[in-house]
Amino acid sequence: MEPVIEVKKLTKVYGKRSTAFTALKNINLSINPGESVAIVGKSGSGKSTLMHLLALLDRPTSGSIEVEGIDSANLKNKALNKLRNRSFGFVFQQFFMNPQDSVLENVVLPLKIAGVRRKERKKLAEKALRTVGLSNRAKFKANNLSGGQKQRVCIARAIVGNPKILFADEPTGNLDSATGDKVIKLLFDLNKKKGVTLIIVTHDDDLAMMCDRQIRISDGKIVKNTAEKTKKTSTKLTKGEK
Amino acid sequence: MKFFEVVRTANHNLLRNKIRTLLTVLAIFVGSFTIVLNVAINSGVNSFIDEQTASLGGDNFIMLMPPGSAEMASSMTAKNGPIEFVEKKAGEVEIGAFSDDDIEKLKNIDGIDGDSFYAPRPFGGTGYFASNKTDKKYEIQSMMILPPGNFKIPLAAGELVDQTDEAKKKSQIILEPGYAKALGYNNDEDIVGETITVNFKNEVTGEWFKIDVEVAGVEASGVVSGSMGAIMSRTFYDKLSDAYYAGYPKDYKDSLPTYYIMATYDTGRFTEDEIKQVITDAGYEAWTMSDMMGMIRTFFDAIMVVFTIFGGIALLAAAIGIVNTLLMSVEERTREIGLDKALGMSSKRVYAEFATEAILLGFWGSAFGVFVAMLIGTLVNSAVHAPGGFLEELPTFQLFEFTPWNILPIVIIVMFIAFLAGTVPAWKAAHKNPIDALRYE
Repeated sequence: MEPVIEVKKLTKVYGKRSTAFTALKNINLSINPGESVAIVGKSGSGKSTLMHLLALLDRPTSGSIEVEGIDSANLKNKALNKLRNRSFGFVFQQFFMNPQDSVLENVVLPLKIAGVRRKERKKLAEKALRTVGLSNRAKFKANNLSGGQKQRVCIARAIVGNPKILFADEPTGNLDSATGDKVIKLLFDLNKKKGVTLIIVTHDDDLAMMCDRQIRISDGKIVKNTAEKTKKTSTKLTKGEK
Repeated sequence: MKFFEVVRTANHNLLRNKIRTLLTVLAIFVGSFTIVLNVAINSGVNSFIDEQTASLGGDNFIMLMPPGSAEMASSMTAKNGPIEFVEKKAGEVEIGAFSDDDIEKLKNIDGIDGDSFYAPRPFGGTGYFASNKTDKKYEIQSMMILPPGNFKIPLAAGELVDQTDEAKKKSQIILEPGYAKALGYNNDEDIVGETITVNFKNEVTGEWFKIDVEVAGVEASGVVSGSMGAIMSRTFYDKLSDAYYAGYPKDYKDSLPTYYIMATYDTGRFTEDEIKQVITDAGYEAWTMSDMMGMIRTFFDAIMVVFTIFGGIALLAAAIGIVNTLLMSVEERTREIGLDKALGMSSKRVYAEFATEAILLGFWGSAFGVFVAMLIGTLVNSAVHAPGGFLEELPTFQLFEFTPWNILPIVIIVMFIAFLAGTVPAWKAAHKNPIDALRYE
């Protein structure tokens, strides 16, 4: 099976010369389709930087990131935007919604950016809201929802374009444990039933343990990758196929 | 499709902060409103002057003057400072007047009709109109002679003087509006053909003299024709002039200098500018009808320039308001922009959305300005033409004239200014880094 994301010798340095700070050092990583991966580490460890690079929100200082076999370094901004829009979904700790807009308008955003027609947009958004169990809240003002509902709306927004990879940055960080559990269940349902690749950044070990694989980052290096062996075999297989 | 999407989103974003949007639109409104009203009144007045000029005729009329007199006429004050006095020698022609040689030279200029030359000698003094229908006397405020040329002064009744050789022998006068009733007649028609008297005081003898004159017609109301004064036939003028100068030294009248000559020129061969150039080349100065009307226009245009500058300053302030509004908006929406960009929105689109917001602000401000200006302009137009309004007598004078050609450019220019004002915030928004923007607290 070809990995959805393959990272080789990834290094990210912030600043220049005397003020330079190496956030990530020589990271090698491969994520298979349908996998659920937790990126864990203390704050400042470089886990957020890694997620930003994997999600193509930032460009690496050196090394390569291949998404579905395409080297992102070869992509122009326009193609990069398109790839992010079509293939990735994002769920953030702070939700990032437009609070004055309706739930439906919030969910529809990625489709709007993609240039999908209005009718089609509405249809897809309603479907996504059904998946997260908020069909009856479509017309509500986003601000009037509870925290758990907000995060479910964000999940609906993340999956509305039917992406292959879902990035979740501390998805339960702003929720109490009961509502957090619901959100987690929803994410893993999507992963198991729809085969969406799930990449969760978290410092919550319980959440991390629910994933197929845990990648621990410390001082910009991978210190533990629970499925390293699997990864290596899969890499070899891929190379062998080629 | 994408264009409408951008406009719709921009509009949506503007409506999120209604009060701020409204205040910004109001600022643009003030500037646009001022400018629209200015342009409209300018257009209205100019149309009216055009109409009046056209109704006056006289397009083949030309006034010839000695060098420097046009400047003298425009300013009778010592604007160049004191001038040292030098006594003129006997027989020397006063500077600023024509000599006999000058007149002969002008008559021989090709294109100028020498036979039309006419230079009535002006005189002052006090006088009044009277009739046998009333005991009241009415002051003579201003009188003139119909200059040579195809003038067709609009009349309310009667006919113009001096139009045929036969008519030139008649002692006639055209009265200004309002005199028929004042002199005891029912209306303008009634006084035509009647004889009234013109009474003048001879400044030398100190005695009053009276001359009978037939009323040939009454001028129609109008800004230009109404300000011309009563029009004398040449025969009547000669009689009046003789009586006025009686008692002066014998050759006094003939020794008066000629300051200007009225004449006609061949319009088939020369335009106004060309004949003026011919006269200038000969060493003299000339005025045509356009110049005379131009004086009114220049005065008016100068006032308009001042008001337009005020409007422009208001617009400048409004433009700074747009910059401010949008910069605040960019700050507030930093996370939103970050999210948009993370979800794959291009910088171009972010730029387009903010620029469109600016343009929409400009559009609403100027559209609102145009709307209110038109409303007020129309109300004022009907108010001044209503009975008792100051333009009641001038029904064709639209004080404010609104046409697509004077309004649309304003809207477009204001939208463009708004766009320019929006470029800085739009650029700032477009260049936000999605990661930094999402981290922004």
